[in-house]
Formats: sequence, structure tokens, C-alpha cells
Amino acid sequence: MSQSAPPADAVVFPKSHSFPPFWTIQRVPATRQTQFKHWSNTIQLYCRTLKIWRMNLSDHLSSPLFHNYKLDRWLELEEAQMILEWMASEEGSKRAEWVNESSSGKAGDLAGRTTAWIYWRRPEEWADVIMDWIDSTGQKGSVVTIHEITQGEATTSQEFHGMDPDILEKTLQILIKRGKAQIFGASGEQGVKFF
Amino acid sequence: MSGYSRQGVGLSAFQNRNKLTSSYASHGAALQSSQSTSLTTQISVFQSLLHSFAVQHGEDIKNNPSFRAEFARMCNAIGVDPLAGSNLTGKKGRSWWNSVMGEKGDDFEVRISMRVVEECQATRGQNGGLLSVKDCKDRLAKGHDIGGGIKVTEEDIIKAVETLKPLGSGFSIVTIGHKRMIRSVPKELNPDQSIVLGVIQDLGYVTASILEDNLGWEAARTYTVLEDLLTDSLVWLSEKRLGNGKLEENEYWSPTGLEGYDDE
Repeated sequence: MSQSAPPADAVVFPKSHSFPPFWTIQRVPATRQTQFKHWSNTIQLYCRTLKIWRMNLSDHLSSPLFHNYKLDRWLELEEAQMILEWMASEEGSKRAEWVNESSSGKAGDLAGRTTAWIYWRRPEEWADVIMDWIDSTGQKGSVVTIHEITQGEATTSQEFHGMDPDILEKTLQILIKRGKAQIFGASGEQGVKFF
Repeated sequence: MSGYSRQGVGLSAFQNRNKLTSSYASHGAALQSSQSTSLTTQISVFQSLLHSFAVQHGEDIKNNPSFRAEFARMCNAIGVDPLAGSNLTGKKGRSWWNSVMGEKGDDFEVRISMRVVEECQATRGQNGGLLSVKDCKDRLAKGHDIGGGIKVTEEDIIKAVETLKPLGSGFSIVTIGHKRMIRSVPKELNPDQSIVLGVIQDLGYVTASILEDNLGWEAARTYTVLEDLLTDSLVWLSEKRLGNGKLEENEYWSPTGLEGYDDE
């Protein structure tokens, strides 16, 4: 965990978060879509502020994100799952991805889906951010260890500092495909060379 | 091999790298400017074609509402502002849209109408196509992308909505409760619906029993109105869960005012 994570009350929730119908899953499809878009933005904001890379829903159900104590309203697990399921879809711009996608066979089956990566930036967007950092610090052509990228002193002010290793892995795979990076070395002390 | 590829050592490595970086940068700039020149040419060719099309079919555009709507939609789809053609007409200060449309309204008014249409469309998912004139004014003043905000009065907006009428676009001003709203979905609100929206404005929300107790409506009438408003996304449903697993009576809230929230 990142040592500098701010407390949960550091999140300033948007207006919709204290709008009572926000806490009832809307049954009219058009309304629901708007509602889920708001929820998606709110969840991304929350995770970005607190640097939550992968969210375990059960851990956060009683957090101020999913429980508005002032309104005395909350989401049940299945409701939060529905929202993440939407976020993970094409329609939800793939702002989430279930960590255990494979354990559940068919789409829409929510049982067992309790943990998801939250993408306030998607891996392909992280790829750009990391390349910008490599560029601006003149590290093209040199080798950087994986540890240095997410935990190093030099990246403490970077948005990707403390990044979930799996998201970094996805990001690096994208850069490799683009021909921008190459990984070598034994696991544990892997290095990345950027081009 | 020089030390460069291994993130060099010594001062010369720094110098080399700087030189290389700056030559990349200047080459990139050259490429970018040649691309943008060719794009600019393409766009001006396209604009002049579109202009001659407008002149050639001026009568049709003027007289045939559906043709005109299609034409406006085409301009919109390809990102050509029909108002921006002023320089092409030769007549200073008037766009060809204006010259095609006749003397009606000046560019400013038309420009406001365009922005009003944009705001109505941007918030439709949110409010079901009912945007208060005041919220619209605030959104215009804030502006969200290029061009920044424009300061207008509520009267300007109402006038702008009037000028949209010939387009047959279904935009109209309706008064609900004590608020003037822009209705951008060509569907009439029936009197009951207007009443309910008016009550929501005053109370913040409404329930079936509030309506039945205060207006003497029967359950079926209440049910129909509320269901219709829900279906059109004009109200949102709130079902509050109580500790004992039961639900409080359904509340119906208007999403007006939520628009302020930035949606990506």
C-alpha cells in the first residue's frame, strides 16, 4: 500500500452522491445509464484520490463511497456489482475489470465477482503517462527496474507511484506490443528498457 | 558503442543527448506543420464546396424544412459551423446561413441558439429533455470547451429558442411551477405532468400520497402520471430501505440541478 494514501474523508463527493435516487438502481434504462455514468465517475474519483488500484467490494461497502451516512442510504453488494459490471463493459468505457474474470464462466453472472481493478486511467492510458515520464526524464534507452517505477524515490510525485503490479504488467505488455519497451531479467528483479 | 545507449556518463553524453533531442523536436515540428498545412487546404476546399452547394440549393434550404434540417445536421456532423462562413459570402458580417435564411435574426442570436441546442443535448440523458432556462444560462456562462463561456440573459435564451421554431426541431419554452424550462424533446407534457413537476420544484420530491392527499387524485391517475414521468427520465425513483428490510414510500425526484456535475 502507498504510504501517502490520504484518509477516506479527503474525497469530496460530487452532488449526485447526496441525491437520494442515486441510491436506488433506476429501472428505466436511459435513466439508469445516466445514473451509472455518475456512479462510475464517483468511483473513479474515490479510487484516484485514495490510490485504490483494485477494489474489493466487501471491504468498501461500509465506506463513505457506498454508504451515505447522512442520507442513511447504502448500496447492497449486488447493486455495487451491477455498477462495476457496467463500468467493465464497452458501454461503461471499460473503467473497471474483474480480477477473477475466469472463475465465473458466463457474462452477467456476478457470483464471485467481488474484486475489480478500477481504471481511472486504463492500461493504455497509463502506458502514455509512463512514456511521458520516461521522455521527460531522459531515460529512453536505459534500464529501469519495475520496483523503481512504482516504488522508487524518483516517482513519488508521479501518479503511477504505488501502482498495482498487475496493472503495471498490463501496461508494460501494451508498451511491448507498441515496440516501446522490453522486459528482461529474472522475475523478482526484472528490468524494463524503454525505447 | 557510445555510452549514450546506456544512459551515458560524462558531460559529452549530456551534450549529445541534448543535440539529438532538439533535432528530433525540430524534425517533428516540421512534419507537424506540413501536415497541418495540407489539412488546412483540404478544409478550405471542402468549405468552398459546401458553400457553393448552399448557394446552389439556397431555395431548397430556405423553403424545405426537412431539407434544411438535413443540411444543418450535415454541417454539424462534419464539424463545419454554418455560421462561420461569413468570409466566403463576400458580404461582410453575415454568414451564408444567414443569407440563406434571410434577414431573420443576427448571428449572435443564431449562435446562442446553437449553444442552447448543444446544452440541451448534453444534458438530455440527465434531465429527460427539460432544462431550466436559468441552468442553461449558467451553463452557457461557464462554457466547457473551445470559445469559453458567453454571458446572456434569460430573455436572450428564450428569444433564441423562438428562432429555432422554423427548424421544426421541437424546441419550446414551457412554464412549470414558477420556472421557465426549455423542452427539447418534441413530446407534449400533459397538464398532470406539469403539475407534478411544479410540486417537485417546491418540495424537492413528491410521493403518491402527497399528490393524492393534496390534489384529491385517485391512485390510478397518480400512478399513470408518475410512471410516465419516470419513463421519460423526467423524474428519478428513490426507494429508501429501512432498517427492518422494509421500504419507505417511493419518492420521485427531479434530476434538475444535477447537471452541474461534470460528466467526463
